[in-house]
Amino acid sequence: MKRGALIGLALLLLFYPFIFTGPFYWDIGVTFLLAAISASAWNIVGGYAGQVSVGHSMFFGIGAYVPLLFYQLWRLPPVLGAPAAVVVSLLLAAAIGMPTFRLRGHYFSMATIAIAELIRIFVGTWDLVGAAIGLQGPAVGRAWWDLTFRSELPYYYIFLGVLAVVLYTTVAVARSRFGFYLRAIKADERAARSLGVPVRATKLKALMLSAFFTSIAGSLYSIKTGFIDPESGFGILVSVQMVIIAALGGAGTLFGPLVGALILIPLQTATNTWFGGGGSGFTYILYGGIILILARFEPGGMHELWYRAAPRLLRIRLPRISHAA
Amino acid sequence: MAGEGCSRQARLANGGVETLIAMLLLQVIVGGLLLGAIYALFSSGLTLIWGMMNFINFAHGEFVMLGMYVALLVVIWLGGGPGAFGFAAAFALFVLGIAVYLSLIRHVMRGPMLAQILSTFGLALLLRYTAFWIFSANFVSLPQSELSGTLNVAGILMPVPQLVAGLAAIVLTIALHLLLTRTTVGSQLLAVAEDRSAAMLMGIRPDRMQALAWGLAAASAGIAGALMAMSYPWSPSVGETFGLTAFVVVTLGGFGSVPGAMYAGLIIGLIQALSAYWLGPIYKDIVVYALFAALLWLRPQGLMGKA
Amino acid sequence: MLLKAEKIVKSFDGFTAVRGADLEVAQGEIIGLIGPNGAGKSTFFNCVAGDMVPSAGRILFDGIDLTRASAEAHARAGIGRTFQVPATFEDMSVLENVMVGAFLRRPHRHEARDHALRIIEMTGLAAQASQRARSLGTPGRKRLEIARVLASEPRLMLLDEALAGLTPAELQDAIGLVRRIHGIGVTLVIVEHIMEVIMTLAERVLVFNQGAVIAHGKPDEIVRNEAVIEAYLGRGHRRRRASS
Repeated sequence: MKRGALIGLALLLLFYPFIFTGPFYWDIGVTFLLAAISASAWNIVGGYAGQVSVGHSMFFGIGAYVPLLFYQLWRLPPVLGAPAAVVVSLLLAAAIGMPTFRLRGHYFSMATIAIAELIRIFVGTWDLVGAAIGLQGPAVGRAWWDLTFRSELPYYYIFLGVLAVVLYTTVAVARSRFGFYLRAIKADERAARSLGVPVRATKLKALMLSAFFTSIAGSLYSIKTGFIDPESGFGILVSVQMVIIAALGGAGTLFGPLVGALILIPLQTATNTWFGGGGSGFTYILYGGIILILARFEPGGMHELWYRAAPRLLRIRLPRISHAA
Repeated sequence: MAGEGCSRQARLANGGVETLIAMLLLQVIVGGLLLGAIYALFSSGLTLIWGMMNFINFAHGEFVMLGMYVALLVVIWLGGGPGAFGFAAAFALFVLGIAVYLSLIRHVMRGPMLAQILSTFGLALLLRYTAFWIFSANFVSLPQSELSGTLNVAGILMPVPQLVAGLAAIVLTIALHLLLTRTTVGSQLLAVAEDRSAAMLMGIRPDRMQALAWGLAAASAGIAGALMAMSYPWSPSVGETFGLTAFVVVTLGGFGSVPGAMYAGLIIGLIQALSAYWLGPIYKDIVVYALFAALLWLRPQGLMGKA
Repeated sequence: MLLKAEKIVKSFDGFTAVRGADLEVAQGEIIGLIGPNGAGKSTFFNCVAGDMVPSAGRILFDGIDLTRASAEAHARAGIGRTFQVPATFEDMSVLENVMVGAFLRRPHRHEARDHALRIIEMTGLAAQASQRARSLGTPGRKRLEIARVLASEPRLMLLDEALAGLTPAELQDAIGLVRRIHGIGVTLVIVEHIMEVIMTLAERVLVFNQGAVIAHGKPDEIVRNEAVIEAYLGRGHRRRRASS
């Protein structure tokens, strides 16, 4: 039954643009995919390893800025900047993880938000990267490798491909020793240590893997929109969206980020439409409320809720996904 | 002869300019320290919680911001003066702090890390954007009160509201420290921070003490907000900045150390003022966060904390 | 000598929990560690396991100095331990828990899985292999902890009150399990309050009181030792015995 559901999901995603046609639905689809990619990337370190970063926008922003910088400075196709962005993001991840994973408690989380803000403000004053105005990509593509498509469709399939890679990587990790160690650290760090788990190194690897994919998500974003500024790259709301989507669906589960994105992206589109420009404030009141309720009543998100409620509603016992099998 | 006189005159003129620069610098320093005292006040609350429960309140900056708005409302609706709105901010936030602990924190402490972080983070977003919705994003400031004007002390100009706010902040921070170290209630609070189970064996109720700590922490944030409202305009966006400033102060001062928070607050205020003066106003936050990054690497336990 | 802990001292902020304790364990022995609550047994235990760094003294394992080494390093060297309050990975299944232990020596998932299944079979947990650790009762969790650490193939296992809170039948079962573990070559140091376990299993016993080892010998010698009786029952008891 599970394999069938998986194939069904894959087909749905594959044919979505032909079921729901037109720019409006395609745009939502692209937004959904991007949100799912970012949240899945965050999920690796925040969900599986339990190291809650609330400043992940720093990796997203780097991923978004560097490609457009490559274009701005050297007129290169932005996509060439993506690998460079990844390298910078990995270095940053190491720089933050190494000192903070030594310490207990919420220190890591606090550090992520502070560093993300530092970068945001700094970038806003640095003329090389456009200061407060930001950077732009090629207005009209010079060739196909500039990846400036007028239709959303190519972007949809590129993003879908990347999402598939992220999900596949997540599964591979979850089934490996690395993945087991991550979950052990999240469950009980002290016990994990006593079994020989190299806690600091494992956390660091998780952060770097997560930074890798988050950076790629940022690159996808700026290549598609052709524009980036400090707020859309490094803003706190970028970080918040990743966390809330993963947590809402179920942090530490494979499909949690997808479910979360499925719920939140249409919701966000709706509230933005109803309340207009000033409504962006209301969207975030809603986000704050959702996060609070999740934290207080169901930190496991929809995933946990489903596994608790479904047996009673559907009167069946659901086997849990085990990575041991 | 003429050459000598000229150079002496030149030297006098230069001496005048130097003195002026020195005076200006001194003024910047004093201003920085006064603001730093307020930082110290609201950061002591944050460090108290951290020391006690190994818990970071991501909504602490919003507590300061709310204190500022409480002050505004008291002035506008009740026409109260600094004493009134200071007390109101402290009281309102004290109640809010305890309410947040009882309804939210107490539950998430028992659960996974994700829930703990998300709880106050979500609270921060909720408070911040609700404030945006109610008060709009415009900057506001308190109308002039009887505490106005500028004092001239040995050539240094100090606006009265800032002076009063800074001094009040120092007094209150010291009072908090004395409360913790010299009273029975204080030692009970510290006992729970030190060793929860041992404290329970001594008949202290950790739950009550933690609730009290949250009340005190929120109150110190609220009253710090009210003090700042006397001298600076604000909007709901300041909560985010204050929250981060508090993080840096607490890290510099050492987790759980109120005296550490006091020294660190003054230092951060000073650094900020000097950065604004030498580098420009846009750099004042960057330098502070850069200091934080340096601390992360070199001395994460801060000045007075345990590693 | 497999383990040599020499003159271990551990102080916290002015309070000294362990004041100069020694322990020597030869390969293949079963050592018991007893003493009243607060005597410093757990702290000493934690130092040997690498959870804490001793303030003074040395820990040599198979000739390697592990005094300042991390808990992970202790585990990799071959020291395994269980916890007084079971620290299983609640949301992972029994099999997944044991696999975490198995991964220490077997990095590849299939080998780890097969090894874990063998250990689960040996420790009598086969029926619950796919259940979440959270759903087991305390005796189940304690057994799971033993299985999990056993999967990491330790040469020395430190059991911290692993047999507490069991019914008589469960206790016999558990004693049998400890014997089987000893049988496959694991050296054991057991902290216990249940005298039956100590008498049945331990070849030698160390008695802790107020941070130091006050007696050391065979179980039947220890039980008759004056200092030990005094430690458990208080000085008054000795005076009363003398005057009777």
